[in-house]
Amino acid sequence: MATNTTNDITSLAIQISVNHGQFQLVIDHSFALSGITGVFGASGSGKSTLLRAIAGLEKNLIGSISLNHKNLVDTKNNDSIKPEQRQVGLVFQDSRLFPHLSVLDNLQYAIKRCHHRRLSLNEVVKLTELSPLLASNVLQLSGGQQQRVALARALLAEPKLLLLDEPMSALDHQSKAKLLTMLLTIQKQLNIPMLYVSHSLAELQQVTDSLLVLNQGKIQHFGNIHKTIHQLNDSDLILKQTSLALPIQRVNNGHGLTELTLDAKQSIQLTTQKHFNHLPHLRCYILANDISISLEKIENTSIVNQIFGTIKQINQQQHNSLITVECGQQDFFVVISAFSLHKLALTISQRVFLQFKASAVRTFIH
Amino acid sequence: MLDSDLQALLTTLQMAALTTFILLVIGTPLAWYLANMKNRGKVIIEALVALPLVLPPTVLGFYLLIAFSPQHLPGQLWQQATGQQLAFSFSAIVIGSVLYSLPFVVQPLQRAFEQLGDSLLEASALLGATAFDRFFSIVLPLTKTSFITAACLGFAHTVGEFGVILMIGGNIPGETRVLSIALFDHVEAFDYARAHLLSIGLLVSSLVLLAAIYWLNLISSQPSSWQKQTPEHNIGD
Repeated sequence: MATNTTNDITSLAIQISVNHGQFQLVIDHSFALSGITGVFGASGSGKSTLLRAIAGLEKNLIGSISLNHKNLVDTKNNDSIKPEQRQVGLVFQDSRLFPHLSVLDNLQYAIKRCHHRRLSLNEVVKLTELSPLLASNVLQLSGGQQQRVALARALLAEPKLLLLDEPMSALDHQSKAKLLTMLLTIQKQLNIPMLYVSHSLAELQQVTDSLLVLNQGKIQHFGNIHKTIHQLNDSDLILKQTSLALPIQRVNNGHGLTELTLDAKQSIQLTTQKHFNHLPHLRCYILANDISISLEKIENTSIVNQIFGTIKQINQQQHNSLITVECGQQDFFVVISAFSLHKLALTISQRVFLQFKASAVRTFIH
Repeated sequence: MLDSDLQALLTTLQMAALTTFILLVIGTPLAWYLANMKNRGKVIIEALVALPLVLPPTVLGFYLLIAFSPQHLPGQLWQQATGQQLAFSFSAIVIGSVLYSLPFVVQPLQRAFEQLGDSLLEASALLGATAFDRFFSIVLPLTKTSFITAACLGFAHTVGEFGVILMIGGNIPGETRVLSIALFDHVEAFDYARAHLLSIGLLVSSLVLLAAIYWLNLISSQPSSWQKQTPEHNIGD
């Protein structure tokens, strides 16, 4: 197995401005990348432009980018490494497979031009489950299959950094879930740092360790995925939610529910899915609109989850309020109407109960 | 067919083959440049390349005759380099043909390169392919129909040219006397039988060549062709 265990952190220093007429991308940040880093933002926020700049495909770029302290581009010193020499891989939204070559020949194309060859074709084919498709014409593949070939091809070039530009936006949910699971396995086995662009927060929440949020060509947030999602609750970019990664306590309690440990005293239950058996932790999220608040514990209810916590913050808006409730170490985010806020007379430091159904605890991969 | 006509056929084939070869060598980078050029200067170069399509061949021939004469710089330079006069030589009709048939090679290639776009080339660059490698591993295999079309059109158009050659080549057997000139001679001499022979030969061979090009374009534009199925890429944000 070709794993890179010598250095798990990849440094990526970006100090650039890219001009596209009305649109300008301005980034000045040094990233310590490990695992999968998500890149999120609305359409036109500069996500793809950032990836293209790192890959060397942006022509109107001023500034410098270095990867592991080696300059990829530095326009001040007239220094620019060509895309083919950067050892940066990119999986495009539209797979961009070579239509005159079979699946195997597309993969061989990368192998022939790779100087290291630490990864074997068999290993990558196995990871991407492409064995039955090797002889196929790439035009006859489904969207999901095409993206698997594109991913395998990019891996076989053995990049130091792999960029993924909305690789799943054109796929159905099932194909997305399969590819996301595959991506996690590949990242763990091959230890290639990845920058993953998506406009689907649910996708990013499942697979990324940290999240970079772009807004109108500038960095709005960068940090731990869960913390960043919670910071985004203050904006209109996402559906307000609580992002969780919790240990699995028991996969099936006999009633089709799985228990996650929230803290020493409390747990959360959600509907059991097949793949839970193999997981130590589960990433899930609960939309702020799916949680309700009460002042006492409600008996005789079909709602499975009732947890207690303390109100940390109340953010009042015109018709509703975003309430942050601290339950042990974990913050929960709840949206209630201005009417309910008034009726319950909620205040900071008040102890409350949160209720949500098992089905409100959502995972992307199922 | 007599020896003189056979000699004219040979001269014609030599001229057309050499012209086509030169056109592919200079037409490919020119078409690539035009396909990727974004500034306003592009229309001037495109108009210059397309000029032989509308210009009377005698106009082009007239200016080339002047340029090729030993009194003018191009003619003088040629004479210094080779020791021979350029006007009324085989080299002169090849140069004239290259200019005259330029649009027939450049335009199909330019269209093909424009249709190919950047997306696959970007993908191959990121897999480590150099510009040279990208041309031979991606561009050439995916535009080969257009290369064949361009070569056939360039060849056929060169075989059929008359005005430019008459102006700059004259009618020297074995050197500049090509089929179209030989045909003109036969008509002037009222030798209609030989004129018919050459005419029907040129007509049928041109028809066969054009039919072959159209057939090639037809089969390469079937639904299995990559161009129809490659999704539009969206650089978007």
